[in-house]
Amino acid sequence: MSRTEPKLQRPPAEQRYADELAKLAADDTAPRPPGWALSLQAARTFIVGDEKLGLARKFVGDPSLIDRALVTLATNRGLMLVGDPGTAKSLLSELIAAAVSGDSTLTIQGGASTTEDQIAYSWNYSLLVAEGPTPRALVPAPLYQGMAEGRVVRFEEITRCPLEVQDSLLSPLSDRVLAVPELEGGDGMVFAREGFNIIATANTRDRGVNEMSAALKRRFNFETVFPIGDFATELDLVEAEAAAALERSGVPVPPSRDVLEVLVRVFRDLRSGDGSGDRMQSVMSTAEAVSVAHAVGIKAWYLRGGEAAAGDIVDCMAGAAAKDSAEDLARLRRYLEQRASKRKSGHWQDLYQARNLLPG
Amino acid sequence: MTMPANDNLHVIGVRHHSPACARLVADAVDRLRPARVLIEGPADFNDRLGELALAHTLPIAIYSYMGTEGGARRSWSPLCDYSPEWVALTKGRESGAEVRFIDLPAWHDAFAEIENRYSDAERRYADATERLCREFAVDNTDALWDHLVEIADPGGLAERLERYFDLVRGEAETTEPGSAVADSARERHMAQWIRAALAETDGPVLVVCGGFHAPALRRLAADGPSAPPEVPRPPDGADTGSFLVPYSFKRLDAFAGYQSGMPSPEYYQRLWDDGAEAAAGALVELIATRLRAKDQVVSTADLIGARSLTEGLARLRGHSRPGRTDLLDGLAAALVSDDLEQPLPWTRRGTLTAGTHPVVVEMTAALTGSRTGTLHPDTPAPPLVADVEAALDRLGLDGTRQPSLDLTDGRDLERSRTLHCLRLLGIPGFAREDGPSAGSDVTASERWDLRDRDDRLPAVIEAGVYGATIGDAAQTVLEHRIDRAGNDLDALSGVLFGAALCGRAHLTDRLGEAIADGVADCGDLAAVGSALTVALALWRHDHLFGTAGSDLYATVITACGHRAMWLAEGLHAGPGPAELGRLKALAAVRDAVRHAPALTPAAASVAATATRIAADGAAPPDLRGGAAGLAWSLGASLDAAGAAAGVSTPDRLGDWLAGLFWVAREEVLAETAEHGVVHAVDEIVGDMTDDEFLVALPALRQAFAFFPPRERSLIAEQLIALRGTGESARSLLAKQHVDPVLVAAAHALEARVDEVLTREHLTAATKEQR
Repeated sequence: MSRTEPKLQRPPAEQRYADELAKLAADDTAPRPPGWALSLQAARTFIVGDEKLGLARKFVGDPSLIDRALVTLATNRGLMLVGDPGTAKSLLSELIAAAVSGDSTLTIQGGASTTEDQIAYSWNYSLLVAEGPTPRALVPAPLYQGMAEGRVVRFEEITRCPLEVQDSLLSPLSDRVLAVPELEGGDGMVFAREGFNIIATANTRDRGVNEMSAALKRRFNFETVFPIGDFATELDLVEAEAAAALERSGVPVPPSRDVLEVLVRVFRDLRSGDGSGDRMQSVMSTAEAVSVAHAVGIKAWYLRGGEAAAGDIVDCMAGAAAKDSAEDLARLRRYLEQRASKRKSGHWQDLYQARNLLPG
Repeated sequence: MTMPANDNLHVIGVRHHSPACARLVADAVDRLRPARVLIEGPADFNDRLGELALAHTLPIAIYSYMGTEGGARRSWSPLCDYSPEWVALTKGRESGAEVRFIDLPAWHDAFAEIENRYSDAERRYADATERLCREFAVDNTDALWDHLVEIADPGGLAERLERYFDLVRGEAETTEPGSAVADSARERHMAQWIRAALAETDGPVLVVCGGFHAPALRRLAADGPSAPPEVPRPPDGADTGSFLVPYSFKRLDAFAGYQSGMPSPEYYQRLWDDGAEAAAGALVELIATRLRAKDQVVSTADLIGARSLTEGLARLRGHSRPGRTDLLDGLAAALVSDDLEQPLPWTRRGTLTAGTHPVVVEMTAALTGSRTGTLHPDTPAPPLVADVEAALDRLGLDGTRQPSLDLTDGRDLERSRTLHCLRLLGIPGFAREDGPSAGSDVTASERWDLRDRDDRLPAVIEAGVYGATIGDAAQTVLEHRIDRAGNDLDALSGVLFGAALCGRAHLTDRLGEAIADGVADCGDLAAVGSALTVALALWRHDHLFGTAGSDLYATVITACGHRAMWLAEGLHAGPGPAELGRLKALAAVRDAVRHAPALTPAAASVAATATRIAADGAAPPDLRGGAAGLAWSLGASLDAAGAAAGVSTPDRLGDWLAGLFWVAREEVLAETAEHGVVHAVDEIVGDMTDDEFLVALPALRQAFAFFPPRERSLIAEQLIALRGTGESARSLLAKQHVDPVLVAAAHALEARVDEVLTREHLTAATKEQR
């Protein structure tokens, strides 16, 4: 009798798309850069998709961005993905790592308390006390592993780390070597095997890349990831993602496209300031739009047992928009009063009528 | 039933300004030795193809215009070395073929929205190309085009192009049947030329047209009458013409939206001249030089990085040689170490947006290039060009110089007028630094900054649409502006002043009528006021502008004077900040009554109206103050205390004073009476509580700010004389170097002490009561 594996909330990309990766690898005839699991062409096809091969588009954005990112990784510079929060930087880095190394799990999560231990290696202290510093006592962290095994290491939110911790990447990136001074002989130096590189992500809201040291900056090629430029594309994406999220939450009705259209339009208007220069301080990303659509759907199904209406958006948006500031709440209110009121379709009027649900 | 395809017909569908297509055309001419070469271009230019054969330096453009009553329609057909049309013209002529243009003239309604004949037609059919972009995983049609055409293997290019355009056109016709209507008139015309050529000759007929038209032309050419078409005649009363103009890569790249064609002309010029590898190499060098000239760090390591990225990108994208976006992508990835505010411009379409990274701006500018064309000296030009050259020469205004002109001198006045006309025509390089403005200032000298620029000649040729001489052309522009202004008084008064500066005051019975109509319709006191100011300035300074005896300005002054008073009396509004526009209008009425008494209502009648307004409780306070000032300055006596009584509340007083001071500043200063304005105001302010004073303060400050410091000290003296405190006026006005917060705190403390004293019955008054 076979045991059923417990379902994971979110398996890593190489598991989610295992079939696609296997198929691409099997048909891949183009030359592969040393240490890569796929050729550049196949890696690109994996991410931008190919209808004829039955591969879905996994990242919505300029194909040239993927081109530049992949070629960068094949050179000796790291790849730095920057952009507003919620522009799918982490998703992109996960997909690239899965395509290039077949493994997206060598991930360092940057934060104020990140130390070199979490980046390079630390020690098993009982073994360390018993045996002294030996390779057995060493606990490798993602960077050590990536270099030793020739795989891509992901460094999320690198700019949130202290500067001196960031700079510990300098010699792995330029000399491709990591020193372990505690170990003697050949074990004291980890030389990166082919296939090793670093994808870092940084968001432009918290702490931009300006504070990063120039030395580290020039070891990375920068790629800015922008919000989706095209309305229809963004709407499609929100619809697909929200429907999937709702299904996972046990809601059988997909969100109505008309309601989502209103939602996405509101997000885009508030994101760009719509020419009035009055853009929201909080993040109005596609990811936020998906989570609002998700919340709207859940609320409508579990609390009312029905489909979502445009009015529900207001309620859920207040949380997304006002989490930072009362000013944003005022911007949202003004938007509803002045813009939403002028649009005549039924859903816009619902939205306008629901403006009183805004707190304050 | 359609006839079988004619073996003699060879249609090459091209993208305009595409080097690969140009090469295809050149090969076809060599291979076919055609008897006829038919090119998509204005058929009304066919008699003058000789002009194009002169030894010009490209880029140049055929500029066509149609002047009508309501305005002018202008369009360009730009040609550069690597234009397929240009190659067809030159190679066709060399090979002895009969060459002609076969498209409709530029003034035809089919071009109503089209300024650039050689824009990308498929741009209007975005759905089809978008699908292709997704299929090939490229950002946009420019990248797609490079991928499929410019840097692809030249073998099989002709078939590939045919399939591409068939696909785009075919899809557009099924999905957007309505959008091809404007194109169909042109295609019918072109097809008729083709049929005529096929009937007239047994030799090969080569057609070079936009690829988007090619499938339709092949189909239409098979069937129909074979008489050559009539080139349409322009509509009656329309003035049309075509001339060659020098063009520039900057302009070629500056078309946006539906008007745009191939981007980055400098890149494609080099691609055409030297091939893709050499173009990429030369541009990297050019960009590095440009950036270093701007003190940007571009290290050798960066350049090596850019090169390996470019090569890697080319290989990844399946290019045997690096293309335009491979080059740009590689450079951007290697040279930009910042987050970008705006997407890379070549991933989108259209012009640069604000906030584009400076390094990226330099890169795109390098690919645009700065080449400009020149025309052979024998090229015919519109008569305006000769007139402008002669005038500049005769008046000594050619070249680069900074003349100062004395407008009372006859020759200088002529110079000034000529320069103003040129400025009005939008010819670059004629900037006035200083000179008479529409205000009431009196100055009789002008300073100009004249620069001889490359873009001057094209602009003069293009202005040729407006007339044969400088004066006529300027007059046409002025008349168009009058039409466009409608009843907008502000715009009309601008035209009025412009007409005077250009020495065209006689223009303008029409202008006088237009302004009179505008004034009669205008409900905006400020606009009437500004028209009155301009007209009065011109009327008073007629010796400068040579407008003496012109009834025009007199008519305007009369109309404006009446209208201004009418509007002022009807203006009702609550208290609000003083509006300078309407105060200026009252001041203009004052000046008109003083300086042009014959043209305005009698002073006494104006003063009477003003007095009524001043006493009108429904009028806004600044207007009431202004009206009081107007009456006063026209000789009525002012009962300051009585007039101020109605506006003594803190939210009105300052605005009322602002009005009064603006219109009757001199009267206030000259005042000696004991119970004058200063006294009345002093009384009112003295009676205010602290809070009220704070409310009134901002407006009061504004009102007194109308006086320059010397006059403020005069008022201070009046005040001291009233109070008899013996201080000096200067000490009263001296700036107090005390922190306002400290003063406020002290005031608050005093108030609290008073309060406590009152509560405990310890004040002087309570003591007495006890």
